[in-house]
Amino acid sequence: MALSDKPASRFSRRSFIKTAGAGAAVAGVSAEAQEKKAEMLGPEPSTITLTVNGAPRKVTVEPRVTLLRALRNELEITGAKEVCDRGGCGACTVLMDGRTVNACMLMAWDAVGHEITTVESLGTPEKLSPVQAAFVECDGYQCGFCTPGMIVSCTALLKKNPSPSLDEIKAGLAGNLCRCGTYSRIFDAVNTAAKNMAAAKAAGKPAKRGE
Amino acid sequence: MAQQPTQPPPPPIPTVKMKAKAGFDGHPVEMDINPAVGDLKPWDLDTQFSAMKGRYPRLEGPLKVTGRAKYTYDIKLPGMLWGRMLGSTVPHAEVVKIDTSKAESLPGVKAVWTTESRTVRFAGQDIAAVAAISPEIAADAARLIQVTYEEKSFVTDLEKAMEPGAPPVYSLEQVPGNPTIPRNGNILGPITGRGLKRGDVAQGLSDAEVSVEATYRVSTHTHAPLEPHGVLAQWDGDELTIYASTQGVFTVKEGIAEALNIPRTKIRVICEHMGGGFGGKLAPSATGSQFAVVACILARKAQAPVKLMLDRKQEHLCAGNAPSALITVNIGAKKDGSLTAIHHRSFGSAGIAPGAGTAAPLGNLYQNTPNILGEDHSVFTNAGPAAPLRAPGHPQGAFALESAIDELADKLHMDPLELRKKNDPSPVRQMQYGIGAKAIGWERRNKKAGVYAAETGRATDSLRRGAEGGSGGSGAASPRLGKVRGIGMANGEWNVVARGSGVGCEVRIHRDGSVECFSGAQDIGSGFRTAMAIVAAEELGLQPKDITMHVGDTRWPEGPGSGGSNTTNSVAPVVRMAAHDAKQKLFAAAAPSLGVSPQEMDARGGKVFVTAKPARSLTFKQAAGKIAGEQIAATAERKKQYELFRQEIAGTQFCEVEVDTETGEIKVIKMVSVNDCGIPVNSLTTESQVISSMIQGASWALFENRILDRSYGTMVNPNLESYKILMPTDMFEAVSILTPVANLGNNTSTAGIGEPPSVPTLAAVANAIFNATGARVRTLPITPDRMLAALAEARRRA
Repeated sequence: MALSDKPASRFSRRSFIKTAGAGAAVAGVSAEAQEKKAEMLGPEPSTITLTVNGAPRKVTVEPRVTLLRALRNELEITGAKEVCDRGGCGACTVLMDGRTVNACMLMAWDAVGHEITTVESLGTPEKLSPVQAAFVECDGYQCGFCTPGMIVSCTALLKKNPSPSLDEIKAGLAGNLCRCGTYSRIFDAVNTAAKNMAAAKAAGKPAKRGE
Repeated sequence: MAQQPTQPPPPPIPTVKMKAKAGFDGHPVEMDINPAVGDLKPWDLDTQFSAMKGRYPRLEGPLKVTGRAKYTYDIKLPGMLWGRMLGSTVPHAEVVKIDTSKAESLPGVKAVWTTESRTVRFAGQDIAAVAAISPEIAADAARLIQVTYEEKSFVTDLEKAMEPGAPPVYSLEQVPGNPTIPRNGNILGPITGRGLKRGDVAQGLSDAEVSVEATYRVSTHTHAPLEPHGVLAQWDGDELTIYASTQGVFTVKEGIAEALNIPRTKIRVICEHMGGGFGGKLAPSATGSQFAVVACILARKAQAPVKLMLDRKQEHLCAGNAPSALITVNIGAKKDGSLTAIHHRSFGSAGIAPGAGTAAPLGNLYQNTPNILGEDHSVFTNAGPAAPLRAPGHPQGAFALESAIDELADKLHMDPLELRKKNDPSPVRQMQYGIGAKAIGWERRNKKAGVYAAETGRATDSLRRGAEGGSGGSGAASPRLGKVRGIGMANGEWNVVARGSGVGCEVRIHRDGSVECFSGAQDIGSGFRTAMAIVAAEELGLQPKDITMHVGDTRWPEGPGSGGSNTTNSVAPVVRMAAHDAKQKLFAAAAPSLGVSPQEMDARGGKVFVTAKPARSLTFKQAAGKIAGEQIAATAERKKQYELFRQEIAGTQFCEVEVDTETGEIKVIKMVSVNDCGIPVNSLTTESQVISSMIQGASWALFENRILDRSYGTMVNPNLESYKILMPTDMFEAVSILTPVANLGNNTSTAGIGEPPSVPTLAAVANAIFNATGARVRTLPITPDRMLAALAEARRRA
């Protein structure tokens, strides 16, 4: 139940362990990046360039450092949270090339050559995305620690399925755990965001904050 | 429960007499109250609100949804090191040697700490800690620490620990807790708490015409907050700043000051945003660890800031849990359903800690029962100490009591709702019963529980058709044998807990009309920050968004630890007082411009005006422009609680479930929770807390179970994929209905709601399962295997 094998992601814990164990790149890594990784790396830190929220970012990390820790500890992009550190809760969900991944289950080096998108780039406090605005309006959180992961998962869900049924919302969030107990509020938020985005699309303009 | 520090009895406080209208719609009560001199007349049933009771998104919402909210775990300071605790790997031992030499010589390690305590009583107990330049190196260093133990026999199972000859967790002279309490091996008790003995329970049981005796078991739950316990400690000379993931910044300050023997003036504790606590973060560090003290020591040794967060496994092992319970309830009644006696006898394990009590619901519910006796026992096991978890002991106790009431109703051939109504003295709950029954559709329940067991599965019942064809289905769909639905209910009750003193607030009105409000208490996710802005806005005639809130910092006026559902109703009255005093100063500054005295003025709708002639007004901003200096500041302190309309906070819950009798799987379909919440400050977030209680309760009832290995004494499911918590796919329709009650306990008539609705949920789920299947499951969590076993047993008896 809790083991996150997100439908939108090709990266499962199992495939990760298999590939990481062999020292090879995980599925989906470009040929160029694979070639680069064929060089002997580590155990000392090396400098790599990640593409985060559209910008190249250099980090110097050991090969064992996860994408999540590179984002949080090196780049101070702390929206994605470290909660279980093994893909069991979805609090670290980010987008890799538009698909949701658990950033705790991916080595930073394996993210080289991919577009990483975090919750920070989906909107700002002054200009919230439709999903973010709906979470605020519907009270789709309490402590807020699962919220960044939820926002990223909901955003990916609505991109794939702009008008999900309740069961589809549940399935789309199956890998995201909220301990405070806000799921029904989150479902309301997804529905609200979906409606607002559809209305904005029909009107031919991007959804405004709070709509 | 709110574990407030015990304070000497306060000196008598000068009071004034006044009247106010208490109660709820349809049940007004004129009451005499005696507030402290200088306090305000409470908001009551007649008050017309402009901001209170509204629905306001959280002020910090935009920060939380964009990843900008900085939690303790997210803060990074220049030169910061990463701390890591090392816990014992064995459950019971003497520590012979801790060799840290390899860890110390690892490049990147800057400081090491080892425990002075030689006795280990649970797996996960503090042994050593390191601080290093990266979390990975800190983990390496912790692994290099070699610990030599002299292992002892241990016991981790509640019932095994009760057996004669079980390995003792403590030697007799070391047993913690009140020495006057009887002790026998690992068992401490019986303890009969206040209000848990009345009349003669043996006589009451023998007077009964119908009685029920049943034994119930509840597993240990862990809090599992998503942000683990942790701190970031930073020294600047002899001044210490601690960022803490805590439910009590002042508790951390007190605890660290005393542990390190440093003056309070040198410590500042900050908690801006907090990633979940549920009662587990009320200690200065944690109930089973001194990690916060250790972080400060490491930071001092290394002369660098140290961030030390527990990892997920440590969080499960040493940071608290809710006690397991083994409870036997005897209830007696007359044939008409009037209760004659209730005997609640419980054994619970809070691990190495005392205080596993679960009898409290007996002292709250069915108080007309002439004979009651509650007897609690704490059973020591070699497991991490418990911590308060959302109405500590009450969900477990109410699971037993409210299941037993349900069993009694079945035996009496009475509607369980009618049986409760008959024995319930609370006027609030009597009003709530009808509301909840209507919302769940109580009339749809199986009039005869156990249709399935009795009839082996023919679709005859209306609920059954609902299960097959969807709610209100025509029944045309072909019946899926084996899925049955049922509806159950249970009651819960909580006491009004509040700090009458030791709570302060400051409100500042600036010359540009902006307003700041300062309260040191922390927002643990309840919506406290927003609620206090609403209270200030109500008093100042502004909107909540006009108030800039500052919370979670020991530099601000003192607030309570967030436990016992006491934060809102401890702080709201003092926020109102400070806002009121600031407003009076604003009136004094603006009065000459309006040509009246300050007493003739009022504030509402963003304006300051002459009460008799509202058209003569200034905007709030214009009025603030009349301030002589840059700002007005007013501070206030609470002096006492008022007399209460009702001491208790009443609630009742209804639940509909679907049980697959072939696989034993249980799905909650809908839950309705009806609650007294005082006068709600923010209806949106108040409802959210009630919904949250239902979800956590359903999770406890169906999934959560800390499993300790009998052979090794360690937790076998210390993460989130194996310690099961309710996930989105398990979700049900959760309905919260608030029934506001003007309680008059303070000048805002507010009450806390974090805990009350978590009390009835376990029993409501179990009772619904009984109604669906006729099978009574008395052990939580109700996993498919237990469900199937109970079904087999029910069939055998049918």
